Order: sequence, then C-alpha cells, then structure tokens
Amino acid sequence: METEKKMQTQVELTDSDLSEQIKAVTKDSHVRAENTELMLAYQRGNISLTQYKLLLCSLYEIYQALEEALDNNSNHPSVAPIYFPLELARLESVERDLEHFYGQDWREKIVVPAATKIYAHRLRQIGKDNPEYLVAHAYTRYLGDLSGGQVLGRITQKSLGLKGGEGLSFFSFPGVSSPNLFKQLYRSRMNSIELEEEERKGMLEEAVRAFELNIQVFDDLQKMVSVTERESELMHTTTRNRCTRHTSTHSKLADGEKLTARSLQIQTSLVNASPLFRMVLGICVALATVGMGIYAF
Amino acid sequence: MEDMEVERVAPEGPDVAPVEEEPLFTNLDIFLFSLIVGLLVYWFLSRKKSEETIPEFKRLTPVVTPQRETSFIEKMKKTNRNMVVFYGSQTGTAEEFCGRLAKDAQRYGMRGMSADPEEYDMSELPRLAEIDNSLAVFCMATYGEGDPTDNAQDFYDWMQENDEDLKGVNFAVFGLGNKTYEHFNAMGKYTDKRLEELGGKRIYDLGMGDDDGNLEEDFVSWKEQFWPAVCEHFGVEATGDDTSIRQYELVVPTDINMNKVYTGEMGRLKSFETQKPPFDAKNPYLATVAVNRQLNQAGDRHLMHLELDISGSKIRYDSGDHVAVYPVNDVSIVNRIGQILDADLDTVISLNNLDEESNKKHPFPCPTTYRTALTHYLDITNPPRTNVLFELAQYATDPKDQDTLRKMASASPEGKGLYQSWVLDAQRNILAVLEDMPSLHPTIDHLCELLPRLQARYYSIASSGKVYPTMVSICAVVVEFQTSTGRTFKGVATNWLKNKVVVTDNGHKATVPMYVRKSQFRLPFKASNPVVMIGPGTGIAPFMGFLQERGWMKEQGKDVGETILYFGCRRRNEDFLYQQELEEFEKAGVLTQLNVAFSRDQEGKVYVQHLLKKNKEHLWKLIHTDNAHIYICGDARNMARDVQNTFYDIAEEVGGLTHTQAVAYIKKLMTKGRYSLDVWS
Repeated sequence: METEKKMQTQVELTDSDLSEQIKAVTKDSHVRAENTELMLAYQRGNISLTQYKLLLCSLYEIYQALEEALDNNSNHPSVAPIYFPLELARLESVERDLEHFYGQDWREKIVVPAATKIYAHRLRQIGKDNPEYLVAHAYTRYLGDLSGGQVLGRITQKSLGLKGGEGLSFFSFPGVSSPNLFKQLYRSRMNSIELEEEERKGMLEEAVRAFELNIQVFDDLQKMVSVTERESELMHTTTRNRCTRHTSTHSKLADGEKLTARSLQIQTSLVNASPLFRMVLGICVALATVGMGIYAF
Repeated sequence: MEDMEVERVAPEGPDVAPVEEEPLFTNLDIFLFSLIVGLLVYWFLSRKKSEETIPEFKRLTPVVTPQRETSFIEKMKKTNRNMVVFYGSQTGTAEEFCGRLAKDAQRYGMRGMSADPEEYDMSELPRLAEIDNSLAVFCMATYGEGDPTDNAQDFYDWMQENDEDLKGVNFAVFGLGNKTYEHFNAMGKYTDKRLEELGGKRIYDLGMGDDDGNLEEDFVSWKEQFWPAVCEHFGVEATGDDTSIRQYELVVPTDINMNKVYTGEMGRLKSFETQKPPFDAKNPYLATVAVNRQLNQAGDRHLMHLELDISGSKIRYDSGDHVAVYPVNDVSIVNRIGQILDADLDTVISLNNLDEESNKKHPFPCPTTYRTALTHYLDITNPPRTNVLFELAQYATDPKDQDTLRKMASASPEGKGLYQSWVLDAQRNILAVLEDMPSLHPTIDHLCELLPRLQARYYSIASSGKVYPTMVSICAVVVEFQTSTGRTFKGVATNWLKNKVVVTDNGHKATVPMYVRKSQFRLPFKASNPVVMIGPGTGIAPFMGFLQERGWMKEQGKDVGETILYFGCRRRNEDFLYQQELEEFEKAGVLTQLNVAFSRDQEGKVYVQHLLKKNKEHLWKLIHTDNAHIYICGDARNMARDVQNTFYDIAEEVGGLTHTQAVAYIKKLMTKGRYSLDVWS
C-alpha cells in the first residue's frame, strides 16, 4: 500500500504545476470513488431519503472539521491562496439541510459511521500539525462538489422529489457564478502555493489519502443503510419479546398461571412474524387459561 | 380455599336434596381471567408502540410494470396521438422538457405523449410514417465526454448500427448540453444529423441548450419558434378564428390598495423604499451616481465613466467583478405605445397564469400598472421574436398584414428572409412594428404577456475594491445609431446611464439599482507574478481596477511583477480612454509597459494583436518561463479570437511548437487559470 502510493507520486512530476500533479496522482482513486456501491446507486437515482440524510450527517462532520482547520490557518502561506470562504463554505448550508430534515434538534440526531470520525479526526490533525496538506483535502472535496457534485444535486432533487431546493442547499454555490471558471481560478491559486520537495510529496500523498477517506465513508454509509434495514426487522421482534418477558414475571401466582406464562413465552418465540396469528393465539391461550381455571376450581 | 367455602345452609324443606351451589367463576378465576385479559391488552398496546419506534425506511424500488407496451407506435395509435417526444435524460431535465412539449402540443393542434427511449422499441421509428401528421421530437442530453445518457444508449447504438429508411418521419431535436465541455451537445447534434441522413424530415432546426448559460431560456426560445414551424408544416392553425393561446389571464382589480402595487421592484414590495442588505438580483441596491463624465474628446460616439456610491450598502467587490444594473425604458417610447394601443397606461392590472401548476404565477411582478410594466419590466427596444409576431397576427385587421406576420414567424425560407430583413436588419422594435403596420391593433395586456423581460445589464467594474471600497466604476460606450427606417436605435442601459445626472434639480441624486456579481477574473495571488492585459475599447474597464490594485500593492512595499497593458482605440486624439490615468501609472512604474494601437491614425489598420506580434519574444518568455497570467477583455466575436490566434502564432514561432501543440498549450493555460477571458458579443 505504501509503495503503491509512492509510485503514484513519482508519476508526472515533469509538469511542476500542483494542479496537474494532484490530478494525475488521484486519477485512480477518483475512478474508485465513483465506482463505490453508494455512488453507483446514487448516479442511477437509487438514493433513499434515509441514505441522503445519513450522507448529510457525515458531510456535516467532515466540513465542520475541514472548515475549522481552514479558518484557523487562513493566513498560512499554503492555505491563504485557496481560502475562499464566501464562495465555497458548506457548513452553513449543510446545517440548513439537516434542520430541514431532522427539525430544530438535529444536532442530537446526528449519526455517523466510524469512517467519518476517522476522516474528521485526520482533518483536525492536519489543521494542527500540517496545514500545508489542507489544500489536498480542500481540492478533493470542493472541486468535487463543483463538478460531479452538481449532477448529484439534480439527481437527489429528482429521486427524492424535493421541491424548491429545500434540503438541497449543500449543492448550491450562490457565490460561484460559473463552476468551470471558478475551478480554473482555484487551480491557478493552487499553483501559486510554494512547497518544498518533501512537502509536495507529502501533500500529494495526502490527496490520495483524502480520496481513500471519502471512499471509506461511502462504504460505511452503504453498510449502515443495509444494517438499518435488517435492524428494523430485529427491533420489531425484540421489542415484542421484551414485552412478553415482562408479562411473564407477573404471572407467578399459581401453577395455572405459571403454566400460562410459560406457554405465553413459548408462543412468542415461535411466532414473530404474523400479528394476526399472535392475536388469535393469545385469545386461545386466554380462553384455555379461563377454561382451566373453571375446571380446576 | 377454606375461607372461600360457602356456608352450607340446610334447606327448609324435608325432601329437597341439598344443591351444592357451585359458582361458575370463583373469585380467583375472575382474578386470573382479568389478569390474562389485562396482559393481552398490554401486549397489544406494546406491539403498536414497537411499530412506532421502527425508523421510517423508504427505499425507492424501480417501478416494474408487469405488462408494458413496448411499441410506441401501437400506443400512439391506441391513444390517438400523433406526436411523441423522446427524452435522453440523466438528471431529469430533458424529461421535464419533454413533458412540457407534450403538454403544449394540444394548444397547437397536436396530441403528444412523452416517452423514454429505453422503454420502447426504437427500431419502430420508421413506422411513424403510418400515422398521419406525425412528429417525433427528441430532447437529448449529452453526458460526460459526448456520450448518450444511460436511457438513450440503446437508441444511440441503433442509430449508429442501422440503415433504416426514415422516409415520411418528421422530426426535431433539442439538445441539452454545456458549452464548457468540449463535446458540447454531441448527442443532440448527432441525433439531428443522423435522423436526416436516414431519410427523416427535419421540420425545425436543432436547438442547443447551454447549461453554462441558461438552459431554460434556451429551451423556451427554441420551442417558441418550434411550434410555429410545426403549425406551418402541418398546415395546422394554432390560433383558429378568434381563439388565441393565452398563457395568462388579465385581471383588473376593483379594490386597489396602492401599497400593494409594484412600482418597479424586482422582488419584495417596497424594497426600493426600505433597503435591506444583502443586495442581489432580487433585491438591488439603489446606488447614487457620484460621477458621470465623458471619456472621449472627439468623435461621434459617447464614451463615459460613471462612479456609483455604494457606501452604507455593505457591498464588497473585487477588481474583475461585474456590476449588474437594472435600466428602465425611454419614457417617450412607453407613452407612444400607450397612445398607439389606445390604452390607459395607469390602469392597475394583474396577469395571472392560467396553468395553476406553474411556478411562474405572473410574467412580471403583479399587480402593477401598464406604465410600470412597459417601463421597468418589459423589453420594448429589441426586435420582437417570431412567436410574438405570430401571436399578434390575429389582431391585424388587414388580412395581408396577418399573412405577413404569420409568414415571418414560419420556418419557410421566404418567411425567415422576410423576418431577417424587415425586423432584424431594419432594427424594428415593437413600436416600429405597430407604427409600420397600422392595421395591427393588439390588446395591451396580450402584448405585455408576449414581450420578454427587461434584462439587467452587466459591466466589468473599472475600479479596485481594495482601493475604492465605497465606489464602483463603470466604463461604457453609449449605443446609438440610425436604422434603415430612419429611426434612432438607442441602447436602453447606456442611454439611461448617460442621462443620470449627479445632482438633479430638486437636489436629489439620481440612483441606479445595482448589485455585484462575482466573477472569476482575478489578478494572480502573488503580486510578483507578471500580468499581460489585453483590453481594447471599453475592454480596458477591469484593467483599471487591476492597475489600481497593483499600484496599491506597490505602495505597500510588495514586490510587484511586470504589468503590461495592450490597449486599442480609433485615434489618439479621439478615444484614448483614461490616457491621463494610464500615463500616471506608467510614470509610477505600476504599468511597466503600455502598448496602444490606434486603428485609424495611419494608413493601415493597427490592432492590439499586431502589437502583440511585435513583442513576441518577450511575451513568450513571460508566458513560458515567468508564469505570466494573460487577461483578455472586450469584444468576443473578433478581437478575442484574433488575439488567441496570435498567441498560437507566438507559441509556434518563438516556442517552436506545432499548431496542434500550440492550441493544446493555450488550452492548458486556460485550465490552470492563466489565460482568462471577460468577453462579450
């Protein structure tokens, strides 16, 4: 893995422009990111509201860390040229979208997978120790948002039937009149950053890492969604089980009762799918108990 | 049990056998029974609760229709349609456009349906000829590197691989693309070309929507001309005798609250009275005019320099940004229109959309007066588009005039030629059309529905936000010329700006509703980076801002790189704009090289590109070795193209590149933000 990365950075150092080098070095990672299960489904319009909401949660964590790091280092010579808070900052728009979907108390409802935490941690680490690498992350996220991200915005709007841009503020860049021209400007700014040989190599490696971190987040989000699917089924049954265990503790009064309780328990473990079946069984059990009571006493 | 025992009471009678009274339910039984019932109830209730805690999970499953009609021909025949609109769509835009066309169809005598080419057998296309007066329309989006969208892939393959005869198949194509991509509208172009090659009959030109510009506008413009062409081709009367296809309904309110009437605002009512930041397109700032002076000393044109005061607006700008202004129309033209249409311009009206589902409730802010609409909201100076003429035809009492108008709106070569000469070349605006065709008496409300919106005008800001944060400068040339009809064509914004007096009679300062639109036209980050600026005529505007900023950096002690300007004008003594300021910059060493081309001061024409060629060695060194940034501002049509060609020549002659390499080299500079354009046509 390490050697692979080193090889990638050796390629195309003939063009000394950072914008060219970073593009070359992350070419493969870019393809892999596009071909994650989540992104492929997304491009086909197979994005559910749950998935989009989870994605927004992760984007919030990521941009919070990234933009905090950028703000703290805005005067650093490797950050100042590419510092465009008015045009690019995403945090506020993500917050607005999260509020739209989760309500006023969205902060308590944020759920993120491990990969997101790792990504955010890395960003905070770089913000502290290696601010010259921030451009690698800014490039990966912001230029992506301005390119393919625009298409994803339209797909999201269409798939989820969102009207009037509600919940889609993340994809909108009101401060950028032309994404294409802005990218050109951004590249010229990147190319004005002066880096030593070692710093440059480290920055290019960080760019590859940035893509990897994003890919991990996509994969984790994909897993989260499938788990949520299965969990919803499990939760359905475990709550039922919990209820019946609760009822059985009450019935310690008589043998008859104990028998009833045990039979209730047995019944629940057998039946966890059909509610009608359960209801009928419940009535039968009640009648059986009553009958027993009458017969016994 | 003992305590529960019922006391046996000996019956009174001798022969009555004691009946053991056995209760049906003992107390214990009742207790147990109620317990069970209680538990069951609890059980059911908690079951319901658990359902509520399960998170909502909606997964979009692809809609699978069990029995699909894969023949669009059969479907059309079954549902009695004669127009089918296919969409090659990835993000839904083309699909939406298709839906709108299909819906519009009935208003033009066609019965349309939209269709996904992936769901139908496209090889049936030749069969369209079986249906009378049929038409196939294609809304094709281009994806990625000139590729078809996923749902159009099969259709694309079919077009390439087959040689079917499409005789008798009428078609039209609208392409959705983005000019910033190399393969602009490749799919649209290919579909249009191929269908004709296969023998299909094109009944209207290919439309090319540009998402980098305004895709919606492109689509609407295209379909406004498309429908008349359709009507013409099928000999269908879209309007019929007296019926007209109105999109809006005129409502004259009886109970008028003047506070709720728009008087020229773009967005919020009273936004001109109570100004609240932030200021943008919907909420412009009323800047006062601090300076308005003429720049040229001689000649018949009027070049001007204005300074707008933006103090207190919290508006910030950078040199290279654009200022957008909302002009108003000439009062005399507005009055004339009211006269000729015999209308009371001060009537308060509202035009409401008949399509209740549309997001666009009114064509312009309503309620308002006709006067306000014609002055602030509608474009009355540009030549009217063909769809306007077509809709107005019904109001011409002279049948010859009706014919002429309809012909000009048609797709026939004769009609197109007539429109070109009578309307476009002669620069006839709507008033001229009304004046020169006296039998034409449209209703004023219908006219207001048809006229396009008056657009904001953009000017490159001619000052630096760092040096002059409370002031925005404009450098513009007034548009005014004589038309072949003997009328004077006056540019709306430039004449309006020209007449902005700094202090009016009653002491009020003239105001300009404006906002700043950020651009990406920027000086390099490092002051030491050399810059080459090419801006003939009013194209010099942003470079005044650049020079002010470079000067400011120099004053701050920064190491400022070479700053070279190429300017061009007609004559030194006529229109050498900002001559004094430029010579001062030169003296101060801010402008390291000033090159001016005076096109008419000598025998042959001398333009900026000629001067560039003279300095080719130095320029190549700056570009190739010193990381110079190149900026071009001004005329897009000729100047920008000529200058770009000159750079190719320099790369070839001095850099030793082949032409192909030179083209790629300049393109690379653009990608890296080192070759920037701020051009207009």
